[in-house]
Amino acid sequence: MTDASVPSPSSPREVLSSLGELTRRVRSAQRGTWFPLLLFGVLTLGGILVDRLTFTLQTVTCSPAPGSADIAPASCTLARQGSPVYWTLGVALAYGATAYFYVRQARSRGVGSPVRPYVIAGAALLALVAATTFWATRHGVPAPRTPIDFLGLHLDPASEFTQFLERFTGEAATIGLPLLVLAWAERNRALLSFALAYLLVELAPISTGWAGISATSPWSGLPRLALPAGFLLLGALGFALAQRARQRDAS
Amino acid sequence: MTTEPDQHPVNSLDDVVHQRVRLGILTVARQARRVEFGFLRTTLGLTAGNLSQHLTVLEKAGLVHIEKGYEGKRARTWLSLTPAGDRALRDEVAQLKRLIEQIEQGGWPVAT
Repeated sequence: MTDASVPSPSSPREVLSSLGELTRRVRSAQRGTWFPLLLFGVLTLGGILVDRLTFTLQTVTCSPAPGSADIAPASCTLARQGSPVYWTLGVALAYGATAYFYVRQARSRGVGSPVRPYVIAGAALLALVAATTFWATRHGVPAPRTPIDFLGLHLDPASEFTQFLERFTGEAATIGLPLLVLAWAERNRALLSFALAYLLVELAPISTGWAGISATSPWSGLPRLALPAGFLLLGALGFALAQRARQRDAS
Repeated sequence: MTTEPDQHPVNSLDDVVHQRVRLGILTVARQARRVEFGFLRTTLGLTAGNLSQHLTVLEKAGLVHIEKGYEGKRARTWLSLTPAGDRALRDEVAQLKRLIEQIEQGGWPVAT
């Protein structure tokens, strides 16, 4: 086709198709999906160790169980583990490293980077989650069967809804939701499916019973963290291999 | 670029934008946000001289912004779309889609 050519019946379609192919090649050069997945996978694995090291058991007084004949306060065992500082600092550093990696990689390949919306979404959600976590830490861990007063809401710690909120304001919000933004920024359908599957893993009520680990064991955080960590690391491996194959095909 | 309702889409194609290589340059620059000369040359399979000629045409038309600089000791040329370039590319793609529609509907009706 030249400047003066009149398109033949198939040529406009061919032109649009070749533009689509060019767009795909640029997108492929801009992607570095494996890197944040690897960082978050390693961070989640590290979380298992942090949970183990910060594990404490406390005996507290709590209200009698509903329907119980006793009216006197009962004694309950409260297990505490995890460090908000580890997650806040770790996720913040991971976003910083991801931004640096993406910009550097894109520049070396000769294209601009689409990472900005991802990092902004990640940082904003992290700030929100960190504020909630530090608020909760400041108010102390509620004793079992004592309602939590959060922004005027009286939440029952044992209710499904409260437990869902707790899971949601963790890695699901700080890692999973920003991955959806990255999938949009990269126009990456594989990453969109991966991010949705990751959110399912994070939001699923994974208890420790099936793994034969009691809730009062120092390793009780293992199943809850090992599953998403393994998922993220496998994802990192998959995306890295796919990227390598695309680069081999392009060269 | 505006189109009269009864104007054939072919007449609405901009000659500066419609040329195959320049259309490719604009497409790559739009997706990449900022693209380096070497990446464009490899992706479009052009010689440096040929690419430079097309870039000059696009720059004169105000469709791209060219930035020259150094990275270490290496000279690098980056280009990005101007708002006019972005608009021109959108219009071109819209006209091509209209043209496909016209072809599929059996051609443009002849006025009697």
